[in-house]
Amino acid sequence: MSDARSLLILYGSQSGNSEEVAIQAGKESANYNLKAIVRGMDEVTIDDIVGKTRIMICCSTWGDGEQPDNAEDLWETVNSTDIPSLKTINFSVLALGDSSYDLFCESGKEWDNWFASKGANRVHPRVDCDVDFEEPAKIWMDATLALMGAIEDTSSATETVEFSDAEESEHKNEEYITEEVNPDISGDSIEEFLDSGDRSLSILFGSQSGNSEELAARIAKNASKYGLNGSVYDMDGFDFTSLSKHKRVLIVCSTWGEGEMPDNAEDLWQSAISTSAPNLNGVNFSVLSLGDSSYDLFCQSGKDWDRRFEELGASRLVARVDCDVDYDSLAAQWSLDALASMAAVDSTGQFQEDKLDLIIQYASGTDAVGASGDDGFSVPSLVSDNIQVEVSIFRYDPETNSRGKDTWLCSLPGNMSVLETLRSIKGTHDGSLTFRDGHCNDPNTAISVNGRIVLPGSLCLDSISSLNSNNISLNLAPLPCFEVIRDLIVDTWSLERKRESSKPWMVAATRDGKNTPQGPLGIMTPSTASYLHSIKDFQSAPLLHASSDATPFSDSYVGPSIVASSWAKRNDPRISENKKKEIDTFLNSPIGIKAETDLSSIRRQESNYIAISEALLEARTSSLNHDSFNGRHGKHVWWYTWSIKSSGKVNETVLYRQVLGPLGLLSNLLSGVTARMILGFTRTGGNMINDGLGMVMPPAGIGKMPKQFNSSVHNHHEVVAIFNELDGRF
Amino acid sequence: MPLRYAYHPGNVSHSSAPEVNDTIFNLAKSLSIELIPLSGATSCGAGIIRQANKRLQLTLNARTFAMAESLGFDILTPCAATAGNLNEDLQILQEDSILLSEINSTLQNTCGMEFSGNLKVHHLLHVLVDEVGLEKVESAVKNPLNFTIAGYYGPNMQQKGMCGEDDIYDPSYLEQLIQAIGGTPISWTSRTQSVGVPGLFSEEPTVLKQSANVILDAKDEGAEIIVSACNLSHAILDVYQGKASRGEIHPINIPIIHLTEMLDFAFGHHNTRLAQLRTRIAVIGN
Repeated sequence: MSDARSLLILYGSQSGNSEEVAIQAGKESANYNLKAIVRGMDEVTIDDIVGKTRIMICCSTWGDGEQPDNAEDLWETVNSTDIPSLKTINFSVLALGDSSYDLFCESGKEWDNWFASKGANRVHPRVDCDVDFEEPAKIWMDATLALMGAIEDTSSATETVEFSDAEESEHKNEEYITEEVNPDISGDSIEEFLDSGDRSLSILFGSQSGNSEELAARIAKNASKYGLNGSVYDMDGFDFTSLSKHKRVLIVCSTWGEGEMPDNAEDLWQSAISTSAPNLNGVNFSVLSLGDSSYDLFCQSGKDWDRRFEELGASRLVARVDCDVDYDSLAAQWSLDALASMAAVDSTGQFQEDKLDLIIQYASGTDAVGASGDDGFSVPSLVSDNIQVEVSIFRYDPETNSRGKDTWLCSLPGNMSVLETLRSIKGTHDGSLTFRDGHCNDPNTAISVNGRIVLPGSLCLDSISSLNSNNISLNLAPLPCFEVIRDLIVDTWSLERKRESSKPWMVAATRDGKNTPQGPLGIMTPSTASYLHSIKDFQSAPLLHASSDATPFSDSYVGPSIVASSWAKRNDPRISENKKKEIDTFLNSPIGIKAETDLSSIRRQESNYIAISEALLEARTSSLNHDSFNGRHGKHVWWYTWSIKSSGKVNETVLYRQVLGPLGLLSNLLSGVTARMILGFTRTGGNMINDGLGMVMPPAGIGKMPKQFNSSVHNHHEVVAIFNELDGRF
Repeated sequence: MPLRYAYHPGNVSHSSAPEVNDTIFNLAKSLSIELIPLSGATSCGAGIIRQANKRLQLTLNARTFAMAESLGFDILTPCAATAGNLNEDLQILQEDSILLSEINSTLQNTCGMEFSGNLKVHHLLHVLVDEVGLEKVESAVKNPLNFTIAGYYGPNMQQKGMCGEDDIYDPSYLEQLIQAIGGTPISWTSRTQSVGVPGLFSEEPTVLKQSANVILDAKDEGAEIIVSACNLSHAILDVYQGKASRGEIHPINIPIIHLTEMLDFAFGHHNTRLAQLRTRIAVIGN
């Protein structure tokens, strides 16, 4: 391996922060024409350091000035070994720590001093970061990379640190990160491999409705990206005895009726199971099976082909994938795996497993570098380490009316989304698992993941694991406020009916327009447009609907998505006065904004939900003002606010009496609420009689509200002054 | 050197939840936390005042912030609703310098105060785990609470930037704390669900169903007791427990205590109350 322009980035990390900075520096090094190798300190020896030209160190401090676990051994080694001069090395250290500890950033300081003591050249002063490390780390990174990029290679540097083949293989995964930064380093060798010898790929389809045929054609088209010459064969008329001459075979087959072969595959299948079927030793294969899980013998034809090929001695390179009626995503994933594996079969028919990663990278690199869209965007291929995931999924079978949870323990790449996890489990473990599939932003895919209402295609596993170490638990459940149809699929029809009741259409006023190239159009200011857009920027109506903790418990409440849409429409300057009044009436009704019990449950779900919850708050304020604070809701807000003016503290005695009234108090009296409140009924030995005398005192609210039993806060007159300044109503 | 905070007691520790005020100072002493009472602080608004007038709630809370800032301490509160509401308003003021300037003008006119924006608001739970440390908590335990305990967070403080290093959606701080004092935490999905406090008086049927659902979920998972990190939710789960049980098939009675009580008992204060709690758990059962 050439060391020219190389940069070794070492990280000593306990929580992952230093590693994160090191990886980022590795990625950015390409901008400075540097070839970075990012290593944990437990992955290198002193021999890997000596003779280098450029080294960046990111090291955190653990406990009382201790080295992080992965740096401890190397630190001991460098201090117990006779190290030659490090004069060829140019280095800089980023030290991460926590200033609340006495020995702040001690580990980084130790590395800095050690390199300097060995004669290495400090190109940039050490930077010590506190817990908010991102900004100083970025400054250090940019400055140091610029300096490192300006350093020319020394002869001694280029002579050192070449990994042996074995070591190179060992470090394959780590170098992948570097190779993502420099896609061209996959080198000519893999291109030569993909160009050499017989590169034929045979794709056989057994199809009844045309789906398998279509998939086979698509796979053949993609095969060229993997250096393969794909040929599609209809199973009808294919000579099974010729199959032994094919080195690479993919089967795409659907199932018909009760586990039967599709019509065009029947004859070939009879040949395959005959005693004269040839030995398929030397044939590499994989099967994609299409079916319908509502039939008992799900994907049976594909299973039969898979088993038969194995019996005849063929080598299965990729496990069979069984697809239900929504087969697109699973088929696409299988296609990527199968093509890569087939491409790794050399011209002699041998599967070269060590080439697999490079081929995957080569194939994805052709997409990534060349832009995946017409706009020239390139999409990086981000790969994370595997993490252990315990996946618990809510199951419901409407036929038996049984419900429960199934749990799987999986090792999955951290970059995999929750939706991909579901697909994987369905494809490999339980074909009966039911969920709504779609692209990552499909609003219909929404589910609950560990209590968070999300689109599962947009939530990666490592974004969950970052806070809960490398072993994570996923608790997947259907959206809480809808009727469950099966497993994770809910019926959102109730929401649609509520939307219908809100009369969600726009009725515009006659207004002045502006002449535009498209003709006269009504216009609005950019700030108004942005405001209206922010209110309706909720990706998915079911998602926002389910984010309210009130919707599962109130059948009549139309929910936040409909309220937000209505409020946006109501504030649209183009709306007619009549429609505005109609919306006001709808929002002020008992099924409108007043039925929401707690906006914080919405606000916390997604970052853009803050703007939505603020809009819902405005809708509520408007509704309260419209009703002049009458009704229970209005009285609650009114008397709560007034009691704060009165003493600075909430006065529950006043609230109970003024808001609930005699009937409400009677209800509380009979249901035990009053008893628990006054007597401290369930308290654990506190005062047996709390301040509840207000419950039996004559009603307050005649003239000025009495202070009841609250003592006023210190400098209460300031509170009154604020009220008088800002809101004279109270 | 003790940790020092300006203490905001939350909304109802003077009324519906007096046990919070009874216990917090003892536990603070046990953990060398010094609480300096904000004797002039008003209610955080509980998400209710802002329904009438958003700027009014912002200004009242800005006054509280200014008082804490003048003392030179961050705010600590044992109430999740107060932590959430104060933090929401604090974020608004810190992100909008023009609004902060306008509100400072009102504060100057009415109270002679000014808030620079340099303040943090913490819930007790996050201070205990992030600042005090679970080891110190563990070492202070005199009565291990060997119950099966459901930790209730509520939704207010489970927001970005408000819950320390804990996960917003899948938190674990309460569970860690319960383990540290010898209890067995349960895993349950409703621990961050709202019990509808701001809608108690206006939407009581919905709120009672929300409360019953939270309690039932805890009981289904085997909890013998619920520990709440929120004064308001604590009061509703406790005081309205009987009324909420009316629509339910299964019994939903379960002792509800506040986080401060749990720690206070574990640290050996109020042993008689702990004995009564043990009796109630034994009588109610799971």
